[in-house]
Amino acid sequence: MGASWHRWIDHTSEVQLQVGAESFGGLAAEAGRALGLLLLRGVPPEVAGPPRELEVSSADREALLVDWLNEILFVAETERWVPVEFEIRDASPIRLRAAARGVEVEEPPSNVKAATFHGLRVEERDDGLHAEVIFDV
Amino acid sequence: MSSISEAPSAPALPSVRLNANLVEIPASARSDMRVPARVWADEELWRQISRDRTLQQLVNVATLPGIAGSAQAMPDAHEGYGFPVGGVAAFRAGDGVISPGGVGYDINCGVRLLASEVEAAELGRSRLEGIVHDLARSIPSGMGRGSHLRFTAADLDRVLAQGCSYLAERGLALPEDLAVIEAGGALAAADPAGVSQRAKERGGGQLGSLGSGNHFVEVQRVEKIFDLQAAEALGLRTGQVVILIHTGSRGLGHQVCTDYVRAMDAVMLRHGIQLPDRELACAPFESPEGRKYFGAMCAAANFAFSNRQAITYAAREVFRRALGDGGRLHLVYDVAHNMAKLERHGAEDLVVHRKGATRAFGPSHPETPEAYRRIGQPVLIPGSMGTASWVLVGTDAGLGLSFGSTCHGAGRAMSRRAAKKVQGGDEVRKALEERGIVVRCASAGELAEEAPHAYKDVDRVVEVVHQAGLARKVARLVPLGVIKG
Repeated sequence: MGASWHRWIDHTSEVQLQVGAESFGGLAAEAGRALGLLLLRGVPPEVAGPPRELEVSSADREALLVDWLNEILFVAETERWVPVEFEIRDASPIRLRAAARGVEVEEPPSNVKAATFHGLRVEERDDGLHAEVIFDV
Repeated sequence: MSSISEAPSAPALPSVRLNANLVEIPASARSDMRVPARVWADEELWRQISRDRTLQQLVNVATLPGIAGSAQAMPDAHEGYGFPVGGVAAFRAGDGVISPGGVGYDINCGVRLLASEVEAAELGRSRLEGIVHDLARSIPSGMGRGSHLRFTAADLDRVLAQGCSYLAERGLALPEDLAVIEAGGALAAADPAGVSQRAKERGGGQLGSLGSGNHFVEVQRVEKIFDLQAAEALGLRTGQVVILIHTGSRGLGHQVCTDYVRAMDAVMLRHGIQLPDRELACAPFESPEGRKYFGAMCAAANFAFSNRQAITYAAREVFRRALGDGGRLHLVYDVAHNMAKLERHGAEDLVVHRKGATRAFGPSHPETPEAYRRIGQPVLIPGSMGTASWVLVGTDAGLGLSFGSTCHGAGRAMSRRAAKKVQGGDEVRKALEERGIVVRCASAGELAEEAPHAYKDVDRVVEVVHQAGLARKVARLVPLGVIKG
């Protein structure tokens, strides 16, 4: 995971994620991991089963991050499978493809409705890429 | 690595208090505002609302094309995403926009009140516990939890198109229910074809389930009547047991919003729309994109009306099992608080967005149900878990003041993390049980996040809308049993 990090910021009604990594692929992997852990209520999972491919494409890098996170939510809710580890296979500003490993759950145990565009930021800083995303919960 | 930190505070905006319950941010406060922003609040609520980014979000709404009058925030308003929660904005149908983010992800999240024929005093603790337990068992809760009901893909399309009318056909609604649901529980503009397969896949199996977050079913007692004539018309009396249901369109609505925020984000440039916040993504109401979203949103709204109807069916079965013929539940009203509606206001057709705000039409409005024409449309205000809820009625004056809108609840005052620091889930449960409230909630964490101290004082919020003339107090309800999603 290298220099990847994430933290949760206080928000009156929603959940705000800050994430950082050396590359956009690393950023997507770390943000996906943070969301997966949120869905699992922070319980470190033991991943099982073969990796599965996740792929999204979007108009730009910011939208791609939102669409990526919404794809994880969609998979978690419809397939009862929460991805938490990501090996990014392809990361361009408009396309992400990853092999994901995760855990099967009886019920998605958290309450995230969507990743939103509100306050969305992806920016380059001296130590790499930083992003902020607010989730509707 | 992961950690948690405080959010930065928001910069101040110029404002002027117009009266004891209304503050205005003038249109000159920011160069891109098209209209002023107005906040219904007394001094204390204004202080609370000013603490986070609610006002900045409201000012952003005031910049949207075709906005009429003013962008408004109700006294329960708080920071959300895009629009603030508790936000009301009306856009001219001819040259204005429609915004999925202005409705929110939980399309037609709303509240429904059922009145029983039994008094709390005659129910007794043991039967109350049995009823709450049976309700928790009969109504699936939790984020992705599905329903006990089975609907085919064709059935789901009929739910989306016909809402509660279809559920009546299936025997899940009484014929008299339909007259006391907003829009009869079926929005005619619904277009099931506009709802993606992904949305149907995500939420189609969730009809009749509660969901999570602040959603709940509460067994309550009518504690006090403030307007006897209105209470009689609504079939409410002191001491009576009532049921309040708070939920929405579940994963289906979440996905409809996700799909259309993305779709509108892609066409704004073509429509020449520039926004201060990308989550406000919108399109002209009369454009193909605007009309397509409106049809899909109405279909998701029909799903939400039907969801609350299916839960009503389950609640009726529970009460019948517990109380036999004495367990009848009559529907008082069902009202949405996340919706965009095409409404006539004066000489204009407006697309009124209410996000965390309740429609509150007065006695003379044609959409007020026939049975309530003497008193006004019922307005149902759920408090935070374990505190009071309110029944109000809309006023004719409210139409001119707030586009016929009022608050939708207590409104959060504290983040989930901060709420958990004040009191853990087990402590919250114990405090509620010590007050005699029966609690059924699988997650201690969610119980802590939704604790009463995380919200504003609902009595103060309701007092503001009452004093401001947006709605009139009818009855105060207190909880006996809580089933948390």
